[in-house]
Formats: sequence, structure tokens, C-alpha cells
Amino acid sequence: MAGPTPVQIFHEEEKKRQYRSGTFFLKVGLLLLFLLVPVLFPAFKTIDLAMQIVLFAVLVASFDILLGYTGILSFGHGMFFGIGAYCVAFLIGKYGMPSYTNLALGFLIAAIVSAALALLISFLTLRVKTIFFAMITLAIAELAIILATKLTGFTGGEDGISLNTPGIFAVSFNMGDFMGLEITGRVFTYYFILFSCIALFLIMLRFTRSPLGRVLQAIRDNVQRAEALGYNTFLYQSISITFGCIMAALIGGLYAMWVGYVNPESSLGVLTIMLDVLLMVIIGGMGTLYGGIIGAAFLKITQTFLPDLQHLAMDLFPHAQLLHNVLERWLLLFGILFILVVIFFPKGVIGSVNEYLLQRKMAKPTISPSSFTPTPPGNRP
Amino acid sequence: MAESILRRWNQELTIAGAIVLLLLPLIGIQPKTYLTLTIAGIAMGMLLFLVASGVSIIFGLMDVLNFAHGALFAWGAYVGFTVFKYLMKWVVADSVLQNLAVFFIAIVAAMVAVALLGVVLERVIVRRVYGNHLFQILITFGATIVLVELIRVFWGPNDETMTVPLTFAGNWDIMDVIVYRYRVICIVIGAMVYAVLQLILKKTKLGTIVRAGVEDRDMVQAMGHNIYLLFTGVFAVGAGLAALGGLAMSIFSLQVYPDMGGTYLLFAFIVVIIGGLGSVTGSLVGALIVGLTYNYVAYLVPWAAAGVNILIMIIILLIRPTGLFAAGK
Repeated sequence: MAGPTPVQIFHEEEKKRQYRSGTFFLKVGLLLLFLLVPVLFPAFKTIDLAMQIVLFAVLVASFDILLGYTGILSFGHGMFFGIGAYCVAFLIGKYGMPSYTNLALGFLIAAIVSAALALLISFLTLRVKTIFFAMITLAIAELAIILATKLTGFTGGEDGISLNTPGIFAVSFNMGDFMGLEITGRVFTYYFILFSCIALFLIMLRFTRSPLGRVLQAIRDNVQRAEALGYNTFLYQSISITFGCIMAALIGGLYAMWVGYVNPESSLGVLTIMLDVLLMVIIGGMGTLYGGIIGAAFLKITQTFLPDLQHLAMDLFPHAQLLHNVLERWLLLFGILFILVVIFFPKGVIGSVNEYLLQRKMAKPTISPSSFTPTPPGNRP
Repeated sequence: MAESILRRWNQELTIAGAIVLLLLPLIGIQPKTYLTLTIAGIAMGMLLFLVASGVSIIFGLMDVLNFAHGALFAWGAYVGFTVFKYLMKWVVADSVLQNLAVFFIAIVAAMVAVALLGVVLERVIVRRVYGNHLFQILITFGATIVLVELIRVFWGPNDETMTVPLTFAGNWDIMDVIVYRYRVICIVIGAMVYAVLQLILKKTKLGTIVRAGVEDRDMVQAMGHNIYLLFTGVFAVGAGLAALGGLAMSIFSLQVYPDMGGTYLLFAFIVVIIGGLGSVTGSLVGALIVGLTYNYVAYLVPWAAAGVNILIMIIILLIRPTGLFAAGK
């Protein structure tokens, strides 16, 4: 038996180091926190906040596959999210009984519909220019909202659809107390969605670290070179877009399960969902996947506590009318924040931290090849 | 044989085909209604042209896709609305001269104010992200949010009613065909803007430099022209056109509201994709196609109006991915 090769030794060491690093403990801690939320803070408001953060963090990660790993901006991501939400709502709310089969079927249909639509859009636009993707997805997303609003018979129009989740996920389900925690359908739904989201996130992580993901990053950084190396960029970009959109649809279905209600405004809206997702991905950092967690946590927590902040500011300065007007328009503040982050921190929180860590590592002699930081799109030629 | 005929008569065949398509709705519509709808369609097309041409020139020269164009459009409408509000006496006066005067003051005020806004936008925000499409879209999208929210801060979040200057209100009845006066004015404005743009682009030195910039930016710079000054100027002109479009459209639809830019920006995108990014003539043709089909379809099958333009866009993308009149690059 020959001894391990130097590369193998290096990988072994790398693996060991992985479980000792600060980020590993951070991830475990984060996971524990979300696992314990229903036990520690049983109030509906906190559970809802935690669930929204989880759902949006994974949605942002799926958007990041398009934006950060493929270099394609889609304004239709909210639409795919909505398609997923509507598919699940149709199957267990409007056109079927709430049963586990129907629920699974809803997710399956959501994946198929979104995959077909994503393939169609990428086929239409990628032949021309990748920026066409942004324009056309915006147009089609608006069309989807109009259709969802106008086709009242099919989609329930502005009123949307209320749905009941089946079996142990039902709101009425109650198993009684367990260690002080009331085991209700809500709790089951929370854990179901949490574990589904973690699974989806791991799948996406695997996707970006697969050979396919590396090719995508190569295409993002330099299309010509990737083409010259013999990669069919069109095919790879289509795969990535389709993958990201299927993920978005699945998350949309989970969202519908949690909220128990879908309507055009909250599920499809370009300005409601897309804006949040864009802000989250920019704040967290493009091309990092984990950035979504930070972005989602920041934005959702701010949105939850913003009204209190407004009241505080208004009590402090009761006479500044313009300030009141500005504060009432919290979107304005987010818009300014968005521009500032794009200009000054194009890598977002995670990207900037990664850069800082890399610089510190550079100072030390031990540098590992796997401490890879994706080139932020801002520095690309 | 057939192929050579096709090639020789290419232009004539295209025009003939266009005329046939234009007359096609006559199957389902009364001729008089058809004429009214056609005028409405051309008027709408001309207004869309004002918005789309700005998007198109800015992209053609600067390679910047300006998502903030819709917000500039709304700003134009609101500046005009403010002028109308302060000169309401002239707006409702039964005098052609005063009506025209207030209309022109509103147009000039809106165009100048928004062109200045465009200069600020270009200098402060867009300049930082030249050459990076992704960041251009992101940052101009951010600018849209800020500009629209600023409208809400300054003018309030509600819809406001726009007053039509008295002379422009109402309609003429020409042999039983109802022609709204304001639509004719829209057509005149659109045609004038097209003519002026073509004259500047084709006949002046500045226009030559801009067109050369669309073809090869580096070469123009090497010839000693300050391309960045040109960029700022073109951005300002595009913003001014958006403002003119916004003001004209707000009088057309009798209202202003903060989100109005979004809807028309989408129309503008569809227009430039159909017409070809970077071409002024393409924008005009694309805008007319969109305006006419929208009006015909809205009359025949109301529920399909929103989708038909996207359908046309998809068909054009399938047969001519670069649009009908692809420019330079």
C-alpha cells in the first residue's frame, strides 16, 4: 500500500480544518438557532419572522445562482416563486382536497411548469444578449401579474386563493404539549419547511461546487474564453437558469404552505418580492449563496421593526414634516441603501468579509487553494 | 426564381405586407371605428416612440440599459402637472393662445428639469458602472425606486387628475369619423421629434459624432472627441424625451400617478426589442406596431390586449433576434 499522495494529505487536512473553523461553528449555531425558535420563542410573530427569513434566504440563494454564478439578471424570479405558490394553492386549495398526494403533485407541477417556462425564456433571449433576459423577464412577469389578476375564474383574481394544508400540517392539528411546547400543525409545518429549505440549500451548494457550477462561473467571468475552451455557453446558462427557477418555484410552494394564502400582489409582485430579493442578494453578497441568509435576516428584521423606528423618530422630531414624509416612504431609504451598496460594497457583506479573511490569510504563509472567493462581478472587465 | 424575385422586391413586399397587416383588423371592425382606432393607435405609438427612442439612443451610444427611464418619464409628467396647477387659469381659459402658451411652458419646464435630473443621474450613478451591464441594470433599478419614492414624498402618493388645456379637449367630427383633438397633437409632436432627431443625427456634425460613437466608441475617442461629455449630453436628451413623453402621456390618459413609469417602460422595452436597440427609425416603427395592435386588440378582444404585444415581441425575437432595424454593432 502506497502512502497517501501529497494532494490527498492536503485534502485530509483541509477536511479536518473545515470542522474547526469559525465559519463551521457559525453555521451550526445558526442551524441550532432556527431549530430552537419554536421552543424558545413560541409567539407567532417570532416564528413567522424566522420562517420568512429562512424562506427568503433560500429564495435569494436560488436567485444568486442566476445572478452571482451565471451573471444573468432576472426580474422574473418573483414570477417563478409565484408560479410555485399558485401551483400548490391550486392543487390543495382550489381544485383539490388537501391531501399529501395533492401537495406532492403540486410541487411536481410547479417544478415542471417553471422548468418549461424558464427554458422557453432562455431560448428566446440568450441567443441575442444576456441583458435581454432582464427586459423580457420583466415584461413576462408583468404579464403574469395581469393574467393572475384578470383571469378571475382560474386564479381567483385579486382576492387570491386560501388553502388548507393537509394532515399534520393543518392549522387545526394539535398533538398536545411536549416539553412545554404545544405541538400544533404550525410547528410541524415550520420544521417541514425548515428541513426542506435546508435540503434545497444543500442541493444548490452542491450545484455551485460541482464541475457544472465551475463552468458557469467561468462563463460568467469571461464568455469568450469559456466558448474558446469548447463549452456550449448557451446550454450551460439554460441549465443554470432552469435550475434556479425550479428552486424558486419549490420555495414558492413552501411559502404558500406557510402563509396559507396566495394573491397576485404578495406572490407574484415585481415590486414586492423582486425588490426584496434584489436588496437581500446585494446586501448579503452576490455569488456567495450564504449571503442570502444575512440579506434576508437584515431586511426582514428591519421591515418588522421599522414601524417602531418610525414612531421613535417622529416622537423625537415632531415638527420636521419633510422628515416624516421621508420616513413614511421606507422604500426610499432602502432604494438609497441599495444604490450605496452597489456602488461602495459591490461584494456585499459576505464578499467583503471573505476578502478581508483572504487578505489576512495571504499575510500568513499557509494559503490553501480551496479558499476560493468568487470574483465579484464589479471587478470584471 | 422565386428567391430572386423575393430579393429584388424585398422592400416593396415588406411594405405591401405591412399594409395588408394594417388593414387586417378591418375584417372585424367597422371602417369608421377602424379609422378612429387607427388614429388612437398612431397617437399612442408616437407617445411610446418618445419614451423608446430615449432608451434606444442611450443604449446605442452608451451601451447602458437605463431602467430608470420610466421614473424620468413619471417625473416629466409630474413637473408638467405642477406647471398646469400653477397656471390653471391659462389651462381652462377659452383662448387658444393661452392654452398653447401653458402647454409649451409645461413642456419646456418638464424637459429641462428632467434633463438636469438625467445629468445628475448620469454623473453620480451611471458613470460608475460603465461597461458592466449587470450593475447598470441594478443601479438604475435602484435609482427608479428612489425617484419614484421622491415623487411620493414631494407630490403625495395618490393619483392626481390631469387637466387637458381647453383647446385640446373634445373632438372633431370629420364625416362621421370621430377624431380626438389631442391625439392629433400627439401625432404632430411625435412626428416633429422624429424629424428633429433624424435631422440632428444625419445632418449635423454632432449627430455624425453620436452615430460614429454608436458604431465604434474607442475610435471616436481616438479622434479627439470627449466621449464622456457626449454621453452626459445624450443621457440628458434621452431624459428630456422621456419627460416629454411622460407629460404628453399624462394628458392623454388624464392622470398622473407615481408608478406610471413602470407600465410605459415595459412598453418601451417591447418597442426597442421589436425595433432594434440603438435605432431611432426602429423605435418609431416598433412604437407604431405596438400602439396600433394594442388599440385594435383592445377593441376586438379586450382581455388579450396586455399579452398581444409580448407575443409580437416573441415572434420578432424568433425570426429577427436583433430587432427589425438593428443598429451598428
